[in-house]
Amino acid sequence: MIGLTLPPYLLSRAIDDGLRPGDQGALAGWVAALFGVGVLNAGLAIMRHRTMTRIRLDAYFRTVRVVVEHATRLGAALPRRVSAGEVVTIGHADVGVIGQTLTVTGPGVGAVFAYFVVAALLLSVSPLLAVVVLLGVPLLALLVGPFLGRLQGAETAYRDRQGALAAVLGDLVGGLRVLNGLGGKGVFTARYRHGSRQLLDEGYRVGSSMSWIQAFGLGLPTVFLATVTWLAARMAAQGTITVGELVAVYGYVAVLVVPVSFFIESGYDIGRGLVSARRVVHFLNLEPEDFTAGARGEAAAPEAPAPLRDPVSGVEVSPGILTALVSARPSEATDVVERLGRFTPSPATWGTVRLDAVALDQVRARILVADNEADLFAGTLRAAISGRRAPDERTLARVIDEAVAGDIVAGLPGGLDARLAAHGHNLSGGQRQRVRLARALLADPEVLLAVEPTSAVDAHTEARMAARLRAARRGRTTLVTSTSPLVLDQADVVYYLVGGRVSAIGHHSDLLASHPDYRSLVSRGSVQQAPAREATEQIAEARAPADHGPPAPQDHQNPRPSAEPTHETLR
Amino acid sequence: MIGLAPPEYDPAAPTTAETLPIGATATVRTYVRELFQRHRRAFVLLIGANTLAVVASMVGPYLLGDLVENVSDSARDLHLERTIGLFALALAVQAFFVREVRLRGAMLGERMLADLREDFLVRSVGLPPGVLERAGTGDLLSRITTDIDRLANAMREAVPQLAIGVVWVALLLGGLVVTAPPLAPAVLVAVPLLVVGCRWYFKRAPSAYRSESAGYAAVAAALAETVDAGRTIEAHRLGERRIELSERRIKEWTAWERYTLFLRSVLFPVINFTHTTVLCSTLMIGGVFVLQGWIGVGQLTTGVLISQMLVDPLGLILRWYDELQVAQVSLARLVGVRDIEPDAGDASVVPQGRRVLADDVHFGYREGVDVLREVSLAVEPGSRVALVGPSGAGKSTLGRLLAGIYGPRTGQVTLGGAALSAMPAEGVRAHVALVNQEHHVFVGSLRDNLLLARTGARDSELWAALGAVDAADWARGLDEGLDTEVGSGGFALTPAQAQQIALARLVLADPHTLVLDEATSLLDPRAARHLERSLARVLDGRTVVAIAHRLHTAHDADVIAVVENGRISELGSHDQLVSADGAYAALWRSWHG
Repeated sequence: MIGLTLPPYLLSRAIDDGLRPGDQGALAGWVAALFGVGVLNAGLAIMRHRTMTRIRLDAYFRTVRVVVEHATRLGAALPRRVSAGEVVTIGHADVGVIGQTLTVTGPGVGAVFAYFVVAALLLSVSPLLAVVVLLGVPLLALLVGPFLGRLQGAETAYRDRQGALAAVLGDLVGGLRVLNGLGGKGVFTARYRHGSRQLLDEGYRVGSSMSWIQAFGLGLPTVFLATVTWLAARMAAQGTITVGELVAVYGYVAVLVVPVSFFIESGYDIGRGLVSARRVVHFLNLEPEDFTAGARGEAAAPEAPAPLRDPVSGVEVSPGILTALVSARPSEATDVVERLGRFTPSPATWGTVRLDAVALDQVRARILVADNEADLFAGTLRAAISGRRAPDERTLARVIDEAVAGDIVAGLPGGLDARLAAHGHNLSGGQRQRVRLARALLADPEVLLAVEPTSAVDAHTEARMAARLRAARRGRTTLVTSTSPLVLDQADVVYYLVGGRVSAIGHHSDLLASHPDYRSLVSRGSVQQAPAREATEQIAEARAPADHGPPAPQDHQNPRPSAEPTHETLR
Repeated sequence: MIGLAPPEYDPAAPTTAETLPIGATATVRTYVRELFQRHRRAFVLLIGANTLAVVASMVGPYLLGDLVENVSDSARDLHLERTIGLFALALAVQAFFVREVRLRGAMLGERMLADLREDFLVRSVGLPPGVLERAGTGDLLSRITTDIDRLANAMREAVPQLAIGVVWVALLLGGLVVTAPPLAPAVLVAVPLLVVGCRWYFKRAPSAYRSESAGYAAVAAALAETVDAGRTIEAHRLGERRIELSERRIKEWTAWERYTLFLRSVLFPVINFTHTTVLCSTLMIGGVFVLQGWIGVGQLTTGVLISQMLVDPLGLILRWYDELQVAQVSLARLVGVRDIEPDAGDASVVPQGRRVLADDVHFGYREGVDVLREVSLAVEPGSRVALVGPSGAGKSTLGRLLAGIYGPRTGQVTLGGAALSAMPAEGVRAHVALVNQEHHVFVGSLRDNLLLARTGARDSELWAALGAVDAADWARGLDEGLDTEVGSGGFALTPAQAQQIALARLVLADPHTLVLDEATSLLDPRAARHLERSLARVLDGRTVVAIAHRLHTAHDADVIAVVENGRISELGSHDQLVSADGAYAALWRSWHG
């Protein structure tokens, strides 16, 4: 920034030493110097810019890195501890602001130096002018500064409204299929127009206040410049200063505006930067939730697959079989899974130890909760299914078939390499569900706790999914919650929950026969109560031997008649 | 290639396939011309005000030049007071017109932007339903979120500012020629350098900046996603993956940052160098002229000052020019929507009766690939038809054909003898409604959300519709009743309430035929019992074609059509199909235990 103060000085020397005495050589010399300094300044400016950019980038990615690392450490506790909006602010704004603020450092120091150099140069010209300029410029900056602040305020209001309008448009397009099916586009078009006109008015307001600011921003400094020039011109007329110096004073004032306005801006930047930094620090100070009962991580996890028990409901997930959980209120079944998956404090046990006494990473490594709200990440379909693994094509093909997701892969342009939008929004609900199931099956956990894995697919697909899930998890421990007979029929044992407690245990067909409320829950809509009941009983009798307790190994070799009934016939 | 090559990975490369057309250059040009013509008056006023502002701004340097002339002539009488007076006046004039310019520029920009977005909305909404079903809303949404945003900047700032900048430069050069003609060539010395530098820069800059900001957005998106999905990341132990991804996104983004930094590292020195060159050449050449006595010191001062004033408008042009280039690309994407023929239809085609008939229908989304083949189906008025079958078999497509969203490739789909595809879309909606599984609750008041089904309905009718679906109680409990803002960001409705709104819309729209497309959640066994009652009431007396996920829906239907592999493989009542012992019977048995 000191470099900026040189050109006016050189300019004044060129005029005084070259032009006035008519010395062409001196003129050429000073102009050459001026040119040299100009080139030097250009070089310095770009170096400064490069350094500032580097600092900004460095600050940015350091901050992102610690935030991401901390976010993954917080895990499931995160959404409960911080609002999504807050985190989005960290991601979209705060991190950038912090980077921006750090760039203040270098030029800030330079600005101080530049101010003093100009002061010294001005003092050598005229003490009076020096006082006027050195006090006047900061005063001017202080006057213009608040205007800029106000402008930013108006801009923010405009941006908010603009964002809201964009959201309305997005919402409208998102629901366009509903409108296409039902009509009524006019209502929303009119509403959008109305919003658009409002934004237009807001835009006029911003434009108006901005135009005043720009008029003032232009007027005030020029008035000041005129005053100084007038003072200097009088001095020049009286012979106190030379013509060259007159021009130089003009230049100094112009130059001084840069460091001073920089100070004002950086004051604003530092203010914002501190707010952002505080938010990030607050986020980093969050600790993972700790609902460990006793001493954390002291009990050893069971060596071999062991039963998971939830004393609150009475559900027991036995190793090696497919267990199903039915409840009229889905939240009750979900609560059981939350407890067994160690997502809430609970007295659940794993083998002989309490689940919450086992180190969390051991629990996560062996027990996988696959819930319906589980996120799908933007990226390729392959990556979404692969999760933390890097499976080969054969394995991928296998789990895709097991999750009955083949038609999804075939239907997307690019197949497995097709891109999923964030949250898998470019898939239907049923498709997302199958991708989630494929991911869970690929993870191949010792214990899989799946919540309503088939709730959004049609009966044909559901029948296939249930049968293939059973086959895929053969010999592993699996719990599914569902109310669909197609799924329940595949389970080795069904727990029927009423009011959050186990009310009946048995095979689906037994429960159908013995519990009318169970029956009406799972085959809702059935009107042929009586004949269906007879049929069920017959089937139940026929199957009775296989339905007690965990199935014997020969069950797997000789699938029951109902194993994947539709799959073969439908093909 | 000098210096740095652009990074290989381009985050701005489109990830969603372009399913809608992009405007051809000619279309874009026509559109821009239309836009200009619509706002011609505003442009003329803007340029007029700008001219006056610039002329007033040149008074200062001129007066200072005079002053310098007088001082160096050692004139006794400087007329300082008169000079100051003139200067103050010029300043006032300039300030006034600068305000005018900014105000008019901003207003013009805002108006053009408003025109553009409303235009686009009308076009998007007017797209034929079939186009939208086929293309999906993804591409349209991305055009809305990114392209309108990009254009907003261009319209609000770039277009007016560029207009100002260009006029400004021209006038300053003109002023220079008038006050000190011999100095004009001195300014031009630097032009070739500037032109070469800028051409080099602008060839690369717009796409590079687009990639850079896309890269930045990708970093932020990955971060937001990670934070959002904390539970999934913990359950699936994806932490390391997410950190890796974030690192990769940062690397991709910084690569582009470095590249644009390199571009600036070339451009900025070129600009600074140009300024220095202009200053030095005017001073040197002008100095020689002064020494030769061809021009006065005052003229030289004025000339140097004016040439220095060129810095501002040049900066303005350079700053906004690339925005304009970016805007052009976005504009082409928005205008592309205009290229699709809007939904037509012959209003004179009126159905006689309510019988829906598909007759030997073939239909495919792509040339040569038929999704439906030889499909014939009669839906009698007042009957219930269930379409069942595995996903991907074509039952949704058949539902859309019966609702008139698509027209068949061969064969006919008729309602009361009139071909649905020949009727205007809104006309079809008066008879047949298609209900998706999406219960989209629009951002807006509860009233708006209902009114869409029957524009102009009175509040009493809205309440009656809410009452019919058992929703009146909770709706009355809302703080502002029908005026309550719902949808994303407003009052959060439970899924069951959203379903009731969807049902109430149907009551209001009152079509005689309904196609329920995968409306499973309407019939979700988990939903409260009264929802089923509400649905039964809504369906009562109407023809219903239901794409059924749950078998009990099929069981209750008069006719069940099993759609497999694009054909209707089984057709008949529940009992007939069960006794026929086909695929449906097998499924029913396993359902029923």
